[in-house]
Amino acid sequence: METKNGVFFSRRTFIALAGIAGCTALTSGSLVGCGSGKENVPAVAAFDPADWDALLEEANGQTVTFYGWGGDENRNEWLDTVVAETLKDKYGITLERVPMNINDILTKLSGEIQADVADGSIDFIWINGENFYSAKDNGYLYGPFTEYLPNFVSYVDAASAEVSYDFGEPVEGYEAPYGKAQMLLWVDAAKTPDMPTDAEKFLAFCKEHPGQVTYPAAGDFTGTAFISCLIAAVIGKEEFEKLTKIEADIDKIKEIIEPGLEYLRSLNPYLWQEGKTFPADSGTVSQMFADGELVLNMGYSTPQLDMDNGVIPATVRPFLLDNGTVGNTNFMAIAKNASHKAAAMVAINEILSPEIQASQYEMLTTITVLDTDKLDSEQKAAFDDVVLGDGSLPLDEMLSKRIAEASGVAVPLIEELWTNEVVGK
Amino acid sequence: MNRRLSSHVTPYLLILPAVLLTLLFVYGVANGILQGFGIIPYLGLTTPTLDYYRAAFTRSDLSLSILYTFYLALSSSVLATLGGVALSAAITRVNMGRKGQLMGIQIPLMTSHAIVALFIISLFSGSGLVARLLYAGGLIDSMQSFPTVLGATSGWGIILVYLWKEIPFVAFCTVTLMSHMGDRYAEAAACLGASPLRTFFSVTLPLCKRTIAKAFLIVFAFAFGAYEVPFLLGATLPKALPVLAYVEFQKPDLANHAYAMALCGIMAGICIIVAIVYFQIMRRERKRPL
Repeated sequence: METKNGVFFSRRTFIALAGIAGCTALTSGSLVGCGSGKENVPAVAAFDPADWDALLEEANGQTVTFYGWGGDENRNEWLDTVVAETLKDKYGITLERVPMNINDILTKLSGEIQADVADGSIDFIWINGENFYSAKDNGYLYGPFTEYLPNFVSYVDAASAEVSYDFGEPVEGYEAPYGKAQMLLWVDAAKTPDMPTDAEKFLAFCKEHPGQVTYPAAGDFTGTAFISCLIAAVIGKEEFEKLTKIEADIDKIKEIIEPGLEYLRSLNPYLWQEGKTFPADSGTVSQMFADGELVLNMGYSTPQLDMDNGVIPATVRPFLLDNGTVGNTNFMAIAKNASHKAAAMVAINEILSPEIQASQYEMLTTITVLDTDKLDSEQKAAFDDVVLGDGSLPLDEMLSKRIAEASGVAVPLIEELWTNEVVGK
Repeated sequence: MNRRLSSHVTPYLLILPAVLLTLLFVYGVANGILQGFGIIPYLGLTTPTLDYYRAAFTRSDLSLSILYTFYLALSSSVLATLGGVALSAAITRVNMGRKGQLMGIQIPLMTSHAIVALFIISLFSGSGLVARLLYAGGLIDSMQSFPTVLGATSGWGIILVYLWKEIPFVAFCTVTLMSHMGDRYAEAAACLGASPLRTFFSVTLPLCKRTIAKAFLIVFAFAFGAYEVPFLLGATLPKALPVLAYVEFQKPDLANHAYAMALCGIMAGICIIVAIVYFQIMRRERKRPL
């Protein structure tokens, strides 16, 4: 461009420009991982996870990064206020929340580890399921560490299936529980007072509201879980939970869920776009429900906060399926090359405290991961005193209708079966 | 060139940024190709294998995906070329000046595809602005009867996004050349009594042919390889090839990167074939007198 018009730069400008461009190229080069050599990632000097007091001292003044899905505004706010302030006041730790999809986090983490970056930018991660399996399997996680956390030792039932296994994968101390989630469905009771609580009623509901019911495509976290719920509604809880301990054999999985796939196909003619296509993510479905284009929505968190904020009508009511809905535990793991392991451990320990867990239940209605039998009466009261709004369901009702999620190896195969045998069929 | 810049070093310095960027590009492509053949050292995969390509080619939905991607890329690039040439001719003809070019070309060029896709969603989804207006005006009985842009298998929303971006791009590529043609050859033709339309089709267009063909190829390759618009607006099935690769790349099993790269390899292969065809045609054209 510059030479065309007969304008030229001085030699110095040339060198500067070339230098800047060169530096840019080089730094971006190192970002994508031009690193060579196979040095071992050196651990933080004299880091002893067993010495809790030393850990607290080291953590003081550190800024710790927490990577995780950032699509839930209410959780973001809770982390930025309640959790961040507690960490700052009690331990002098600054919490930096980095919203990012888990797949991108793992890609970034693998990139850094591939490039032998010792001071990784990721400290701890909100993770579970197949992503945990993949990260642990590839050696991207630090651990085992949960045995060193005082609150984990005092309040968590480490032997319970929902803490020791994550989508069928043994946890082995490489991640600490964060919250328990369970799928809920909801409708606007002012418009559709009848709640379709089983497979038969659900089909009738779709027929009654043609084109106004859909769910996110398999592959979306919520979509896959909702598909699992409907399959379980058809084949029963016991049959479905066979999928929690199954090897990656598509034929065996198909044999178990075939009646469910058949049922899903029978829904298609009455769904949005006649089941030829499905929204790619749960955010789109929520938007369509809020706009009144759909009459039913579903999700892992209650509609309570959206009701309170006026995004959806106050007449919305949640419900569970009679056969139960799938639930899982989500966890926090520490990156293998985390720069601030001490602060990460202190932060995770604090999130496992009865106070923060009760606050999480109160503000986000997330089911606690603590064993309530291990709490004293005062701590217990903090949970019992939480007044639930119309958008939430009581804890014991949810736990009584809870189905374990399919294992990490089964999930992608269920998604594949749905894509090949349900969409547009 | 200017004598004051006759230093031997300067040309090399000048070309340095381009060389570095090219190296980076080559590194990325080479890395991707190697991964497609199953060479991912950080996952402990070092033996070259054709397994991933085999798996990709035996996928039941691959051929449908390729056809669908071709359909999207071809229809958007053909329409964008026609529209772009028309826009360019209009700008040249009415001599719009800088402001006109800014509105018609530069603003659309600066807006990212994802943003344009969001415009289209808020305008043409089942609960979008257009559906609401038609419903309020009594032109449709219910908002559900509006043909929503989301997930439409015809892909009209995707094509619309590409047109909004690529018509100005084609115009951007041709407008300078076209206005210069207007100065000389077109004036000569006009003096010899050709009508403006005749001048355009017999003089201006043939002279711009190569540039137009180049712009067409760029648009085609882009529409063939970009994932974000078909991801946001596309149907569950069939998925465009880049979306398929993206979905595979995002799977938690990192070894799946190899499989995703094999899909990208197929994509790149198709684009290379199109480019070769283009250069063959160009070479033949060059031998012929204008």
